[in-house]
Amino acid sequence: MPELPIWQFDVLLLILVVLFAVVALSIRNLMGAAVVFGAYSFMMCLIWAGMGAVDVAFTEAAVGAGVSTVFVVSTLYNTGATMQRRTGGLTFKLFIGVVVTVAGAFLLSALPDFPKWGAPDSPVNATVAPYYILNTFEDAHVPNIVTSVLADYRGFDTLLETTVVFIACIAIYSIMRVDKAKLETDEPAIVAAPRYDPSDSLIVRQASRFMVPFMQLFALYVIAHGHYSPGGGFQGGVILGASLILLAISFDLKFLLRQWSEKTLMLLVAVGVFLYAAVGLTCMFMGGDYLDYGFLDSILPGEKDMARSHGILLVEIGVGITVMFSMIAIHINLASNGRFDRGL
Amino acid sequence: MDLLGYILISTGLVFFLGTTIGLLRFPDFYTRMHAAGKGDTLSTVVILIGCICLNATQEDGLGLLLALKILLIINFILIGSPTATHAMMDAGNKAGAVPWRKDSE
Amino acid sequence: MENLIANFNYVIVVILMMIGLWSMLAQKNLIKKCIGMAIFQTGIILFFISIGAKDNALIPILTEAANHTYPVSDASKVANPLTQILMLTAIVVGVATLGVALALAQKIYQQHSSFDEDEILENERK
Repeated sequence: MPELPIWQFDVLLLILVVLFAVVALSIRNLMGAAVVFGAYSFMMCLIWAGMGAVDVAFTEAAVGAGVSTVFVVSTLYNTGATMQRRTGGLTFKLFIGVVVTVAGAFLLSALPDFPKWGAPDSPVNATVAPYYILNTFEDAHVPNIVTSVLADYRGFDTLLETTVVFIACIAIYSIMRVDKAKLETDEPAIVAAPRYDPSDSLIVRQASRFMVPFMQLFALYVIAHGHYSPGGGFQGGVILGASLILLAISFDLKFLLRQWSEKTLMLLVAVGVFLYAAVGLTCMFMGGDYLDYGFLDSILPGEKDMARSHGILLVEIGVGITVMFSMIAIHINLASNGRFDRGL
Repeated sequence: MDLLGYILISTGLVFFLGTTIGLLRFPDFYTRMHAAGKGDTLSTVVILIGCICLNATQEDGLGLLLALKILLIINFILIGSPTATHAMMDAGNKAGAVPWRKDSE
Repeated sequence: MENLIANFNYVIVVILMMIGLWSMLAQKNLIKKCIGMAIFQTGIILFFISIGAKDNALIPILTEAANHTYPVSDASKVANPLTQILMLTAIVVGVATLGVALALAQKIYQQHSSFDEDEILENERK
C-alpha cells in the first residue's frame, strides 16, 4: 500500500536538509560546494516524495540534482577558479544576518495563522483541487492526475514554461557564443587546460557507450508512460539530454558535435515549442478553443473520448524535445566557453 | 518473503554504515574511494534485491513485472557505479594524489 | 509552542529561505550567490508541497493496485495535485534561471579573471 511514511521521518529529513544547505554555503572549495548542493537537492527530493509529490520529486532528481550540478561543475571546471577567496567584511555579514533574522521573524509571526500540516480541510484543498481529483479520469482518461492537469486543464502554463526554457537556451547562447572570426581580434579568453581528460580512459568510453541507448529508451518510456506513472515530458526530456551530455563528457565534445551539429540543435529546440503551439492551433482549426484537445478526435486515432489523452501525449512530446535539446545546448555553451570546440 | 526482504534491506544498511565509517577513517584518497565505490554499489544492490522480495507477492503478475524492472536497474547500477569510481580514481591519479605509505607517517 | 510542533515545516521553510537570502546578499563569491538563489527557490517549493500534503493520503496517481476506485469517492484521501503542478513548473524555471546566472558568471570571469565581488569592483575602477 503506497501510503506516506510517518511524520518523525519527515522531521528528521527537514532538519538534515537545513544542515546540508548551511554546509553547501560555507565550504570554501567551490567544487565541494557544488557536490553538497547536489546532495541537498537529493535530500529535498526525498522529502517531497515522502509528502506525496512523486512527480515533483522525479523532476527534482533529474533536473535539480542531476543537470544543475553538471552545469555548476562545468562552469567551475572551465574557469579553473575552485577556491573561494578568504575575505573579511565580518561586520557587513553580521548586519545582513540581523536584517535576515528580522525578516524571518516577521514571516514566522504569521505561524499561528497557517493551517495545520496535513490538514485535509485547509483552504488550498477546498476549491478547484477536489474537482481535478474527482473528474480527471472521466474527462481525460489519464490516471496520473498531475500529468492531466499539467497538460490539459492548465495547458497554457506548460506552454509558457516550455517557452521559458527555450528563451533561457537562446539567452545563454547569445551571452556565451563566440565566433571563430572574433577570436583572433578579441583578447584571448582565459580557459584553464583540463588536467583530466576522460576520453583517455577506455573503461569510461565503453561503459558510457553501453549506457546511452538504455538511458534513451528509458527516457522515451518515461515520456510515453507519463499518463500512468510518475513521469511526463520534462523528466523524459531531461534524461534524454543527460544521455547526450554523458556522451559529450566521456568522449570529446567534438564527438557530440559531429553527431548533432550546432544548427540542428538550435533548430530542434524551437521545434518542440512549435509542436506544442501547433497542437493548440489545430484545435482552433477544428472548431474549438486554443488547446482544447476534445476537438481533435476526428484526426487522432482511437475512440472519441481518448482524444484528450492523445492530445496530452502530443504536447508532452513537444515539451520533451525542447527540454532535451535545451539541456544539451546549455551544457555545450557552459562547458566550452561558447566556442564549441573543446570542453568538459 | 517479507521477512527475507527486511533482512536484506537491513544487511544493505549495515554495508552502508561500513562504507561511511571507511570513508571517514581511511588515511588516503585511494583507500577512501575504494570504500566508497565498492560499499556503495554493493549496498545499493542488496537493498534493491530486498525491495524485490518485499513486492514479490503482488497479484496479477505485477510482482514479476516489478522484479524485472528492478533487475534492469541493478544491471545499470552494476555497470555505472564502478565506472564512476574508476573515473574518479583515474582523475585523482592524474591530479597527483600521493598514495599513503606506512612509513610516511 | 504546540504551534511550532504542529507547523514545523513552515519553520524549516522560513529558515531555508533566510539562509538563501543571506547567501545572496552577504557572500562575496558569485557561485555561492547562485547556489543561494537555488536554495531559496527549493525552500519555496517545499512550502507549496507541504501545504498540499494530507495525513494518510495516497499519491495522486489512480491505480487499482493502490485501492483507488474509478471514480474516486473521497477527495480528501488523495494528496493535492494542484500545488505539485505549480511546483513542477517552478523547478524547471529555476534550472533555466540557474543556467543563465552561471553563463553571466562565466562571462564576468572572462573579463576580470575572478569570481570574487571585491576583486571585480577593484578591476572595474581601474
